[in-house]
Amino acid sequence: MTGPSLRRRLAQAAALAGAVAPFAGSPYLAESAALDVVRLAGAVEREDDHVTAAELSAWLRDRKPGLRVIDLRSADEFDAGHIAGAERMSLTSLARAAFRPDETVVLYSEGGAHAAQAWVFLQARGHERAFFLRGGLHEWIEDGGPAAPTPGDAKKPAPSPDGAAARARRRGC
Amino acid sequence: MAMSAPLLDAIAPDAAISLVAALAVGAAFGWALECAGLGSARKLIAQFALTDLTVFKVMFSAVVVAMLGSFWLGRAGVLDLSRVYVPETWLGPQIGGGLIFGAGFAIAGRCPGTSCVAAATGRGDGLAVMLGMLGGAFVAGVVFDPLRSLYEGGARGALTWPALLHVPYGAVVFVVVALALAGFYAAETIEGGAGEGDPHHGRVTNGGRP
Repeated sequence: MTGPSLRRRLAQAAALAGAVAPFAGSPYLAESAALDVVRLAGAVEREDDHVTAAELSAWLRDRKPGLRVIDLRSADEFDAGHIAGAERMSLTSLARAAFRPDETVVLYSEGGAHAAQAWVFLQARGHERAFFLRGGLHEWIEDGGPAAPTPGDAKKPAPSPDGAAARARRRGC
Repeated sequence: MAMSAPLLDAIAPDAAISLVAALAVGAAFGWALECAGLGSARKLIAQFALTDLTVFKVMFSAVVVAMLGSFWLGRAGVLDLSRVYVPETWLGPQIGGGLIFGAGFAIAGRCPGTSCVAAATGRGDGLAVMLGMLGGAFVAGVVFDPLRSLYEGGARGALTWPALLHVPYGAVVFVVVALALAGFYAAETIEGGAGEGDPHHGRVTNGGRP
């Protein structure tokens, strides 16, 4: 078989595979996932589902290995200010994202509702080392957690564990 | 590795075996680049002069093969695409890095992959580019804190065209394949025009060595 003829055949094969692709459906194995609701309920009762602003601040300060902080807000909100080192992801992207088993994923949104929902998605996908930031960015800022890209925020003191505990008692959670 | 190559999970659950497999894939990639003549800086520079578009054809072929392979393996249930790592988009550093990459490519006549290939085959310029690359990575690490806002600028998460455009995955596959075939045809036409009167134009007779 000569070179040009081989290339022509390969091009024809690629054209065929590409032309049929739009009618082949989704290449993802499954876009639904099973959920062990009893295990999740236990995690929520033990408060293993979330971290406080103080805990996250300590993880960031100690450069906890494998830590990934995910911001679930819009791109504009993210650009206006976010937790230093965080990466932005939409809920849809998160639902399809792949995380290594050794990665610890901390999710946050403005108030915490979306992050808690995203936590359920990750649990359903089998990633158990996921947590949401309790109280979301509101509580983080309230506790004086460092944020980017505003340079001044980086010099604010880390959240006080005592302050977070007091707030938790106030909320009764 | 389990994330980048979930196909290996069943046959090689051990991380060390996965790393050996990664090394083998990397070596095969380098061998393919060398076979395509991309170890030659002259061939790479010819890309910018539009006289030899081998780089474009090889790289776009790799994109199409990987895309069609992952799409159809996913569709056949062999590959779990949701576990394939999608690099996150960071507009600031990636635009800046892309410009530096392009300038370095044009100046040195090498990109990271081809510089490794050239160094492995004993070419001094390939080794020089590799050292420059490692030096650049070291400097970037040293000045990371002052440049942190640039590194973290424009984070958009793990974007894919189907999710961004809200179109089926297969439609994107079709468009990319169509663009590739049109691009290959255009490249051959351009090369044909540029190579008229040069009987050796576009041929790799000695692995692309000058």
